[in-house]
Amino acid sequence: MARILIVEDDRDLNNAYSIILKNEGHEVVEAYDGQEALTKLKDFSPDLILLDLLMPIMGGLEFLQNYDLVKKHPEVKVLIFTNMENSPEVNEAYKLGAHRCIIKSWTAPHNLARVITDALQAKPAKSAA
Amino acid sequence: MSQYDDTPKRTTFEQQAEAEALFTSIGDGAISTDEFGRITRVNPVAQEIIGYTEAELLGQWFPKIITALTMDTKVVNLIDRPITKAFLTGKPIYEKMIYRRKSGESVPVSIVVSPILLDGKPLGAVEVFRDITLEEEIDRMKSEFISLASHQLRTPLSAIKTYSHMLIDGYMGDITPAQKKSLRTIISGANRMNELISTLLNITRIESGTIAVTPKVIDVDSVIDEIVKEVSMMAADKAVEVVAKESPKPVTIRTDLLIFKEIVTNLVTNGVKYTPEGGSVIVQAKKRSADLLVTVSDTGWGIPKQSQDQIFSKFFRAPNIVRRETTGTGLGLYLVKGLVETLGGKIWFKSEEGKGTKFYLSIKPLKKQPAAKPKGEVPQP
Repeated sequence: MARILIVEDDRDLNNAYSIILKNEGHEVVEAYDGQEALTKLKDFSPDLILLDLLMPIMGGLEFLQNYDLVKKHPEVKVLIFTNMENSPEVNEAYKLGAHRCIIKSWTAPHNLARVITDALQAKPAKSAA
Repeated sequence: MSQYDDTPKRTTFEQQAEAEALFTSIGDGAISTDEFGRITRVNPVAQEIIGYTEAELLGQWFPKIITALTMDTKVVNLIDRPITKAFLTGKPIYEKMIYRRKSGESVPVSIVVSPILLDGKPLGAVEVFRDITLEEEIDRMKSEFISLASHQLRTPLSAIKTYSHMLIDGYMGDITPAQKKSLRTIISGANRMNELISTLLNITRIESGTIAVTPKVIDVDSVIDEIVKEVSMMAADKAVEVVAKESPKPVTIRTDLLIFKEIVTNLVTNGVKYTPEGGSVIVQAKKRSADLLVTVSDTGWGIPKQSQDQIFSKFFRAPNIVRRETTGTGLGLYLVKGLVETLGGKIWFKSEEGKGTKFYLSIKPLKKQPAAKPKGEVPQP
């Protein structure tokens, strides 16, 4: 069991991921933009963050910069969950310490659970920055 | 001039005046040179595009005074300049390049250079070029729009697929087999839409020259096996046999896994789609001394002779197929050709209507570069 923060502005998807991950036995907290995620992180220390990139108020990249993943939270795995392929934003997310980047529309729920298990078992991600 | 031609004969002076007027009034930039590439004539539009006056240009060596860059801003060597190629080949050369204006600014141009030949010997060349800044900008905006639109289309698809899978997997309680079947149909529709979005995105990337190529040594046989399994699963309802013929020796090549997979998957899927029940699709890879040859042959409806030279064109669908299959977009083989060219390869086919088609894909190993990406994941740069 792990502690997971979901940061996804699409409420239907956020809710779906939450159901799937809770069903797998994980402790889950939901946020709907980067700003809300930073607030929730004051009281919640996750093992893994499932992060969307395009969000209102504060997007995924700005969140990663503010959270300072590489320096302050190297033990936390960040999985980028987006529908943008090969975009500069994805490359930037890797530079900011993201562990993996997954295309949402290709990923079935059982694969999501597997990807998260794999990420949790992997060694801490190295930054390309 | 034929004996029936009654056009009045012009004097040499009249012909010169006519040529001069023609040259000056062309709406595009025009520069003519002698056989050494020295500028002999410049029209006003050319002066406006490159920012030099006629006096500054006349007598100058064209490749020296006007620096040319490739569209990705690398300086073009003398040997690769269109004017040089026109002299060497004796044929008109069409290219897009960037010219550096006198002020140092860059201007993208579309160029046609025609050699002036007399008895096969070059006397000089005429280059006509136009400023394509606006076209390039529109192209960029079009690509951005498609990219964004494709991304936005995927968001609702993610919800459709995720919830359908959750229902099937029992997250919301038990469901009947009939309900499960309906949900699978929904997922299959969403997958088709997803594929279409990927196709559009890939075409946009190819057309805008922004497709990423990440070479990695791949085990061709196992990739083909995987493709055959995937396509067989997708086409389980259709009685068409999909077979991977084993290579005599293990075959590997350094190429982009995703692009290679996309090409072969498209060819195999096409084979299944355009082959009647009871037929077969056979895939085989063979390493040759200089390249890898993959063949995909089917026992399908074939491509009519009169359609064969259009088969890789955008939105083209052969008439014998349109009558049978209404769901195609005519983008598959256009995308395949673009992807093959991205890998520096070649594709061709042999086909006979009513008997089948055999596609040949030839690719050479790519130079070494960092890691490639698995499906559904964007790799770390």
